[in-house]
Amino acid sequence: MDHFWYLFAAYSIIFAAIFLYVAFMWSRQSKLEVEVRALEAKLAALGNSGANPATPEHPPAES
Amino acid sequence: MNGFWTLIGKDLRLEIRTGQSTIAMLALALLVLVVLVFSFDPAFVRGPQAAAGALWVAMVFAGMLGASRAIGAENENGCFRALMTSPLDRATVYIAKLAVSVIFMSVALVAGLILVVLFFNLEFSSALIRLVPSLILGIAGFAAVATLLAAVSARARGGELLLPLLIVPIFTPALIAGVKSSGAALAGLPLAAASDWIGILVAFDILFITAGFLLFEHAANIE
Amino acid sequence: MNNRFQKILGVAALVSMLVTLWMIFAWVPTEAQQGIVQRIFYFHVPCAWVSFAAFGIVAVAGIFYLWLGGQIWDDLGHAAAELGMLFCTLMLISGSIWAKPIWGTWWTWDSRLTTSFVLWLLYGGYLMMRAMFGEGEQVARLAAVVGIVAALDVPVVIVSVRLWRTIHPAVLVTRQGGHGLEDPRMIVTLLAGLVAFTILFAWMLMLRFGELRMRTRLRMLARAIILAEYRAADAAEYRVAAGNR
Repeated sequence: MDHFWYLFAAYSIIFAAIFLYVAFMWSRQSKLEVEVRALEAKLAALGNSGANPATPEHPPAES
Repeated sequence: MNGFWTLIGKDLRLEIRTGQSTIAMLALALLVLVVLVFSFDPAFVRGPQAAAGALWVAMVFAGMLGASRAIGAENENGCFRALMTSPLDRATVYIAKLAVSVIFMSVALVAGLILVVLFFNLEFSSALIRLVPSLILGIAGFAAVATLLAAVSARARGGELLLPLLIVPIFTPALIAGVKSSGAALAGLPLAAASDWIGILVAFDILFITAGFLLFEHAANIE
Repeated sequence: MNNRFQKILGVAALVSMLVTLWMIFAWVPTEAQQGIVQRIFYFHVPCAWVSFAAFGIVAVAGIFYLWLGGQIWDDLGHAAAELGMLFCTLMLISGSIWAKPIWGTWWTWDSRLTTSFVLWLLYGGYLMMRAMFGEGEQVARLAAVVGIVAALDVPVVIVSVRLWRTIHPAVLVTRQGGHGLEDPRMIVTLLAGLVAFTILFAWMLMLRFGELRMRTRLRMLARAIILAEYRAADAAEYRVAAGNR
């Protein structure tokens, strides 16, 4: 058992790194998801106003 | 092929008039050699292997400076964009730029070699002639990678740092092979003694000149 | 995204990892010469395999990006490079920890170590480039070029480093025993480790890839919103102009 701490260090570093990476990605992904939802909603709202019949399709003719 | 000579002529004329790249490369090579000489105790670090190592260190640093300057100069006045939008074939531009860097680096390296001979107490002998293949191949390989990647990094903020970061790891196999074959040549061994290393240098050159030829278009694409 | 598939993959990664851990620490016999440190090997080799696979994916994604175009290839290459770098780092660290008690040193310029280190530098440069450029179509093309060039370099690195270390004999330490896998259970454990890490890698790749895809979507949405807002402002101006007349 002389080299127990080497073994312990190797495995704990590997697991710590993978765990931290995954946790970090996960939290970032959930944050991004909220952001994407918000933007999608905003775009939908804008899109509706864009499709408003009051909006002229063509610029008024010069007169 | 016409455009090729025009491009080379343009760069050479510019260099002869201003001397900006070669002088900067020479100065850097001198500095690197001076730093190396004073960093290591000459009592322990001497002989052909150390001299070959010092020569290649100087070459790598001078080459990086030269590559970033070559593209930087083109970038300054939007010349690079003009070059890319010119009717010239992109591959021709790549080969021309490559040839010009090889010429500049060779000039810097000849001066570096003289300094190395003086600093490391070598002799001006036929051993120096035997250095030529490994040095030329090394320079060509370095210039092939550097010309391709300088076009990549030219438009990044902090591109001066980025270029060495990308070049040095890619250049490592050629660096190992170059130092080994140069060391053998300086030690007075016949060329055949370093044939494996020369083979690696040749493979490196073929691989990266071809890659640069094919990929330069993508690397230097300006829309 | 294939959310269901990703979940299944995640569960599979967890289960296979637990099984592998049980095999490593309870089932496989201790190697006679090296003692328990040899068990690092069962994770060290899979880390190496996964990082090489990841760097291969970077190159393939680069080729596809230049050939077919599409942000999806760039996102794939980006995700693979990052994971390859993570596992390459873990391989270097675990190998170093193993080397200290067995070889008596944290690091030697052995051919495999040197090759791994050069790979680490190569992809470190790639990721630095990504970090310095930010996002966009230009960086995607440049990353593809660098990814392909780096992959082309790998065989030359392997050959030259091997020659470097054999011509120049290693004087540091003598290698004891090598990787003597004399017991068949050791081979089974190693295979289990390889499978577990491959699944874990696939799952992590999907996670990171999904995140990058979402980022791309976010950018596109932001662009679309700016466009829509601009149009709306334009329309309002026209209405005002039309009212004035």
